[in-house]
Amino acid sequence: MPIARTVAGLLFVLALLCCGPVLAQELPKPLSDPVTGREAFLAVVIVAMMFGGLVSFFLFGRVSEKTHVALALLSVLAGGFSLLVLFGSFLYENPVAAIFVLLLLIGMFKLMSLFESGRAGRKQSKE
Amino acid sequence: MLRPPEHPLRSLYFVNGWLDAALIGGLSIIVFVALRLFTSNHTTSWAIETASILSVFVNYPHFSATVYRLYQSPDNVRQFPVTSLGLPILLIGAVAASLWQPAWVAPYFVTLFLVWSPYHYSGQTIGITMLYARRSGFEVGRWQRLALTTFVFSTFIANFAYPRSGDPIMRYGVMIPIIHFPAWFGILMIAVMCAAAAALLYFVFAWSRTQARLLPAIVLLPAVTQLIWFLPGTQTAMFYEFIPLFHSLQYLYIAWAMQIGLRMSEQAGAGAHRSIAYESLRWLLRNCAGGIAMFIALPWLFFWVNLPMITTAGVVVAALNIHHFFVDGVIWKLRNTAATSPLMMNVADWSASRVPVTV
Repeated sequence: MPIARTVAGLLFVLALLCCGPVLAQELPKPLSDPVTGREAFLAVVIVAMMFGGLVSFFLFGRVSEKTHVALALLSVLAGGFSLLVLFGSFLYENPVAAIFVLLLLIGMFKLMSLFESGRAGRKQSKE
Repeated sequence: MLRPPEHPLRSLYFVNGWLDAALIGGLSIIVFVALRLFTSNHTTSWAIETASILSVFVNYPHFSATVYRLYQSPDNVRQFPVTSLGLPILLIGAVAASLWQPAWVAPYFVTLFLVWSPYHYSGQTIGITMLYARRSGFEVGRWQRLALTTFVFSTFIANFAYPRSGDPIMRYGVMIPIIHFPAWFGILMIAVMCAAAAALLYFVFAWSRTQARLLPAIVLLPAVTQLIWFLPGTQTAMFYEFIPLFHSLQYLYIAWAMQIGLRMSEQAGAGAHRSIAYESLRWLLRNCAGGIAMFIALPWLFFWVNLPMITTAGVVVAALNIHHFFVDGVIWKLRNTAATSPLMMNVADWSASRVPVTV
């Protein structure tokens, strides 16, 4: 068994030596490329979602569970909208995908209808 | 499940059968029939101008009424802090992103609003149906509610499955492509809608037989109205421009009943009729002013953005609408006990101020 492990280890190292330079050449350099408008928009959404999470974190113990749930749903809304911006073209290009996107949007609206209503909390307390 | 009425009602209606039926949907059905019969199927500038002028007195105040109810008291803001404070910040961010990237963020922001809007209408249809069901004593259990919601939401989805035109449309200054669904999807939605309607009618007939009386038509009027708005209504170009107006009229009527119910319960019976008129006028004027501030003054604040005014206004209107969808979801839950009672009263109760309401 130790021999098998040693052989496997050697093969792994050889594989790294062979493929490593190729991989290194193919590595993209995202930071050196100019940021596209879409990437900048995504970055802003990520910051907004992080901000929502941080607010929830710093308000722990100071606000009700209902408020934490609402902050989480705000992040869901921000993420959902950014996905719509990224993949929304499916809505117009592919009829079957349009059904899927429409149902996802309805699901999100349903979720948002529970926004800060306290219903989620009540369901939890029933269990 | 709806709670039973807390006190015996004098009438099923807030004011009377004619006014309730007209504002809840009857008037929109009459206008639809008239436009269908007497106009061509093309939107004319007359329809757009009329709808725009009426917006100032109906649509805009309906948004303002929601905002006023939430923000009128610091207590309300404290009760729903994320809706009151957090959500506007997020929406300001969305407006900024849409104006920053008008080519590919703004169309999706307006699309989000345009898809959400009929969903919101459907929620209101269900809410008003439940309200009149409760006032009439029609018990809405799990299966009745399932049949009702399936019917209402299938009209909403079927509305998308049968677009009026296949070409991109300019809405709120933003070019929106039309969503194309497979042909079978529309047929499926119509089948689901018919099945749900059949189930709902079965429950209505069963109730009528048990109670030995017919269910008041107003209970089903909101659902019938929605069916007309979303299927033949959207196919009738002239009427299409007026659908938001009639939705707002429905909303204003219920919000007015709520406002007057709350105010009158605070006052003595003497001079109550004058108080109702005074309070109604004050409420309407305040909401007209609020609506103008929100939909005319606010978009003007973005005059410095290097975009056509209609695009800027469209993005702001989309944000105001999305804000309204959220606020509407919470304002009816403000202090639950008091929020329900005024909606179980009617004009006779307001005049007499007999029903104590805990505020």
